[in-house]
Amino acid sequence: MANTDKQVNELIKREYEHGFVTEIEAETFEPGLNEDIIGRLSAIKKEPQFMLDWRLKAYRRWLEMDEPNWAHVGYPKIDYNAISYYSAPKRKEDMPQSLDDVDPELLKTYEKLGIPLHEREKLAGVAVDAVFDSVSVATTFKEPLAKAGVIFCSISEAIQDYPELVQKYLGSVVPAGDNFFAGLNSAVFSDGTFVYVPKGVRCPMELSTYFRINAANTGQFERTLIIADEGSYVSYLEGCTAPMRDENQLHAAVVELVALDDAQIKYSTVQNWYPGDENGKGGIFNFVTKRGACIGKNSKISWTQVETGSAVTWKYPSCVLRGENSVGEFYSVALTNNYQQADTGTKMIHLGKNTSSTIISKGISAGRSSNAYRGLVKFGPGAEGARNFTQCDSLLIGDQCAAHTFPYIESKNKGAIVEHEATTSKVSDEQMFLCRQRGIDPEQAVSMIVNGFCKEVFKELPMEFAVEAGKLLEVSLEGSVG
Amino acid sequence: MLSIRNLHAAVDGKEILKGIDLEIKPGEVHAIMGPNGSGKSTLSAVLAGNEAYEVTEGDILLDGENLLEKETEERARDGIFLAFQYPVEIPGVSNLQFLRTAVNAMRVHRGLDELSAVDFMKLAKETTKQVDLDPAFLKRGVNEGFSGGEKKRNEILQALLLEPRLAILDETDSGLDIDALKVVADGVNALRSPERAILMVTHYQRLLNHIVPDFVHVLAGGRIVKSGGRELALELEERGYGWLGIKDSDEVEAG
Amino acid sequence: MKTAPTLSSAFLEAAAGKLPAPLQALRAQRGKALADMPLPTRKTENWKYSSRYLKLTDELAASLPSGRNSGPGLAVDGYHVVIHNGVLVPEASDFPDVDGIEIRSFVDLDDDTAQHLADRLDNTLDNNAVQMARLNTARFEDGLYIRLRQDAVLDRPLFVIFEADAEAAGSVYPRIYVDAGANSQMTLVEEYISTGDQTALVDAVTEFSLADGANVTNVRLSLEGENIHHIGATGARLLGHARLDSHCVGFGGPLRRHDLQVRLEAPGANCRLNGVAVTQDKQHFDNHTTIEHVAPHCDSEETYRNIAADESHAIFNGRIHIHKDAQKSNANMSNKNLLLSTGAEIDTKPELEIYADDVKCAHGATVGQLDETALFYLVSRGIDRREANTLLSMAFINELIEQIPVEAVRETVQARLNRFIEQAFEGA
Repeated sequence: MANTDKQVNELIKREYEHGFVTEIEAETFEPGLNEDIIGRLSAIKKEPQFMLDWRLKAYRRWLEMDEPNWAHVGYPKIDYNAISYYSAPKRKEDMPQSLDDVDPELLKTYEKLGIPLHEREKLAGVAVDAVFDSVSVATTFKEPLAKAGVIFCSISEAIQDYPELVQKYLGSVVPAGDNFFAGLNSAVFSDGTFVYVPKGVRCPMELSTYFRINAANTGQFERTLIIADEGSYVSYLEGCTAPMRDENQLHAAVVELVALDDAQIKYSTVQNWYPGDENGKGGIFNFVTKRGACIGKNSKISWTQVETGSAVTWKYPSCVLRGENSVGEFYSVALTNNYQQADTGTKMIHLGKNTSSTIISKGISAGRSSNAYRGLVKFGPGAEGARNFTQCDSLLIGDQCAAHTFPYIESKNKGAIVEHEATTSKVSDEQMFLCRQRGIDPEQAVSMIVNGFCKEVFKELPMEFAVEAGKLLEVSLEGSVG
Repeated sequence: MLSIRNLHAAVDGKEILKGIDLEIKPGEVHAIMGPNGSGKSTLSAVLAGNEAYEVTEGDILLDGENLLEKETEERARDGIFLAFQYPVEIPGVSNLQFLRTAVNAMRVHRGLDELSAVDFMKLAKETTKQVDLDPAFLKRGVNEGFSGGEKKRNEILQALLLEPRLAILDETDSGLDIDALKVVADGVNALRSPERAILMVTHYQRLLNHIVPDFVHVLAGGRIVKSGGRELALELEERGYGWLGIKDSDEVEAG
Repeated sequence: MKTAPTLSSAFLEAAAGKLPAPLQALRAQRGKALADMPLPTRKTENWKYSSRYLKLTDELAASLPSGRNSGPGLAVDGYHVVIHNGVLVPEASDFPDVDGIEIRSFVDLDDDTAQHLADRLDNTLDNNAVQMARLNTARFEDGLYIRLRQDAVLDRPLFVIFEADAEAAGSVYPRIYVDAGANSQMTLVEEYISTGDQTALVDAVTEFSLADGANVTNVRLSLEGENIHHIGATGARLLGHARLDSHCVGFGGPLRRHDLQVRLEAPGANCRLNGVAVTQDKQHFDNHTTIEHVAPHCDSEETYRNIAADESHAIFNGRIHIHKDAQKSNANMSNKNLLLSTGAEIDTKPELEIYADDVKCAHGATVGQLDETALFYLVSRGIDRREANTLLSMAFINELIEQIPVEAVRETVQARLNRFIEQAFEGA
């Protein structure tokens, strides 16, 4: 019966297709982290004083924090002074006035990644903010969005143009002292995306940010802040890639979402950072803090993620359900292969009455990888009538990998109900035999079975991403049956 | 079309088939009968290429080509179809997607164009009627939550769509009530054609009332101990396997 | 960085006692190793929810004095052994006289047997996870060594009554080691009770070593009073086709902790772990279980239910660990909880750690109230709401109690649970 395993293992050998490096003149800080570096970073971005103060406060706090070690991952100690905290393509002007001013090499890079930035070759109704290493290089469809009143820009621009919104909400969901990596990000974040959707506005198109790490020995520390004002709606997509390098690179992002009364935010991620080679060399350390606050009544935040990349992932997109009747959702597919390690899941913190949440997590482990779901469902004393449903399924491909489930459930309200279920399975010999007996290629069979396993999550993705996600899994499983 | 010569096969090192010889010509319907544990299901699994079974001796030729050298999926594309005794579930994969992938794999192999989603949907819906399945079954996961009878009809549906040269039906009658048995038998009879052969593996002869075989073989202890025409099955029904000097565990228990 | 509090040295002074030399030596060795042992805090993962109940004040360090039998005359249908403040009371006990079965007090062991035992004590427990069990090994003054030879069958259940007599403040360290030979069988009922009203700590350890085909049923009842802090650990190692059938029933207290660790070490080993814990007022109960599927082809089935009322706190942590070579494992875990009051708290964490692919593992957990439709159904048939609540709550746990294979225990436990549930719904 070991035959299926062997076939599946062979199918899993895959190649990373976004591994190229863009040759571009860049301005890069020397490695190291201190108050002077933070001062220079803030100055280069022409930030107001409040921002510098905020960063320095976060930095001083961070110095006293310990790197977390509770996750089911292992990685060599990171030397935070060996990382460069700023790298940006050199530009002729201070800011490109239009897309025509953007370096053609950069435009080519994004085209190669399948993200055309020219509006005439627009990505079917999706506005894109492209973040290259430490800076946002282009944001498309700014004008039609502005007409609707939607602010969609880089966070650097927002700090200058909308300081009052930034000051009010930055750190309101993920405070600088929240955790080690969030603290680091607060001190040194260099760019990211800012979205504000005003009252009653349904954002006319999908918004997206495409993150690209290019330079060597740099970290990417982006910061995303999305605010959905009363009765508004926005769907936001995020994609990530990086070149293949032998050294590990750090990505420590923070994403904060704020939903006011009756507002809805749908946040989708297809994460495909370079995972390292088949021997576990290189790859991105993806240590990310993502959290949404449903402040308003009837608000809703929905996280959907498809995670196939990174060497090590530490990530728990969460919802704080404060507003009455607010809703949190988490749909996740995490695939690990070779020596990848993922410790990912979510937190649903129910504080308000009649809040509800759904967690659907699908973990797929292959090769020698380790894939853990870690989740917290918490009902505070005020969460009368709150509900949670959790379904965690693991699929193991081959006998060298590992799959774990660590769900924490804490309830302090007698009127709250939580239901949690978890299962573990493998692609069975019988399933493979059935498919092959019907003339289907073993490779196609594995891909079909794995896609079927993930179906509940894929149906939550916006159309463009669902197709991409399905393909991504196929690529990830390529060669898994011989 | 199919020649089985001195076939020996083992599972987990234990020999189950101990020298099978069988010739099947196009258009023929053969029935293999035998008590439990006689090796009936092993024979169907070996023909389809299940890797859990090891062929230790002998040959299987399909149109003169050595079948044993081929992978399961290659045999399928050459026209070998196995209707499973216990069809497995594949959660999340819709029946429609599964069938279309299989049919197109077959079509490509036969040098035909792949069917578009729309054309295939039409064909599949048409065929569901033939086996009395609600077209809604096409949207459900492969065998997911199907009843025993629905699973069996789904197997026949696949046979009709894949148009095999040799259809092997492994205990297709087991677990079916009389109405479902008729539906399945009608489906199988619709498969009968001068180019196609059918090999039925069954414990009881009741299926043979609905699908009349040209030849009946009795398998016991890993060998074919008697071959004959339709009348052999009737005789078996009347006299049991004991008449041939074979112990049938079921009959012993029942008695 | 604040330094973590450590175990007070007062706890490391073992009474001289009459133990044979090898056991004395083992105690001394453990005592040394425990010096400066950090006490669990909120950040200690397996004490996350319970460290705040753990109060190891120096007044608890002294051993409770033993040697008196205040135990009630027992009328149980089974053999029984009374252990008073950690020391066996022969005159209150009724030992079985069955071929191949030896039940002996630690203090009565000859040196060879004592050495054999000393080499095995603690072997069934993952010491990192249950440090407090090591304190037991550093402090026990007596214990019960139960040895079943191959094929020996104990015809009736053996009741071991651990009585903590807290006339003064102090601690007591009950200990049992069961060595079950191939194909032997027994039922062991452990009953933890108390008298007196001073604060006391009971730190109890029971270990089972099951050879091929051994079949052991273990019933563990925590029935101690409100003044007793109880920390217990049960460890079991199972060889081929051995079976452990465990039933733990516990009533809450100021601190109630039980760790149950089962290792399935050879093919065919299997276990069923059932547990019920109920808490009221400001009581606490924390069940931590671990099932290690070390070998292939082993099965485990685990069902724990908790009810928390008033301002009480019930915790369940169940871990299933499928080792790399443990293919064809079957493991099922279910934990259901009833939270009867908004002042109460329930925390549960059903964990799976899986390193083999060809396995069937599932877990489920729920926290909630009684099913409203079932309640409505009963009320609509004229049953008053309180009665309906009681009936349904009882049904929620009775499913497990009914599986306890000792009738006398079922009756005692059901009566107590009924009282508990009636109280919980009083004034509700």
